[in-house]
Amino acid sequence: MLDPQQIHQWITAGLPCTHLIVNGDGQHFEALIVSGEFAGLSRVKRQQRIYAILRARLDSGELHALSMQTLTPDEWEGQGRG
Amino acid sequence: MDVQKRIHETVTGSPVVLFMKGTPQFPQCGFSAKAVQILKACGVKDFATVNVLMEPEIRSGIKDYANWPTIPQLYIGGEFVGGSDIMTEMYETGELQKQLEPVLNPA
Repeated sequence: MLDPQQIHQWITAGLPCTHLIVNGDGQHFEALIVSGEFAGLSRVKRQQRIYAILRARLDSGELHALSMQTLTPDEWEGQGRG
Repeated sequence: MDVQKRIHETVTGSPVVLFMKGTPQFPQCGFSAKAVQILKACGVKDFATVNVLMEPEIRSGIKDYANWPTIPQLYIGGEFVGGSDIMTEMYETGELQKQLEPVLNPA
C-alpha cells in the first residue's frame, strides 16, 4: 500500500514547496501544495507540473488518484492559513 | 483513424464533452461521479460523455491529448478545462458557470 509520505517525497524531489501536506488511505490521496513556482500559471498548468513529476507512478498504476489544491505562497496566506 | 484525431473530433463535435469512467447514470469512479454532479448543478442538461472503460485506446490516448494523465476530463467548446479538482474549484468560484453560459444560452 502506498504511503502518503512516499508521495510527499516524490513531489518535494520535483518541486520546491513552501508547504506540502499529503493525506490518503493508500488508494485515494489528496495534497495541498504551496509553491512559488505556481505564480503566473493557470490551474491546469499547475496540476500538469505535478502530474509531470508523478506521471510514471500514475501510468504504472502505483498511484491511482491524487486530488490536488495548488496555491502560491501569496494565495496560501490570503486564505488566512499562512 | 488515428486516436488523437478521433479525440479531437469528439471534443470539437459537441459543446460540452466529459471523458469519464462509467456513464452519467452509473459512474464507476467517485471523481467521475462528482464531475457529472457538477455539470448537472450548472444546469447542463445535454453533455456528451465518453466512457473510457469501454474505449481502451481513448483511455490511453486522452492522457497525451491534453497532457493530463487522469480521468475525468472536461472539454468546453473543444478546449480542455480540467479534471474534477479544477471543476470543483471553478464551480465554487462561479467560473465554470460563466464558461458554460454561451453553451447553455447560445446567442
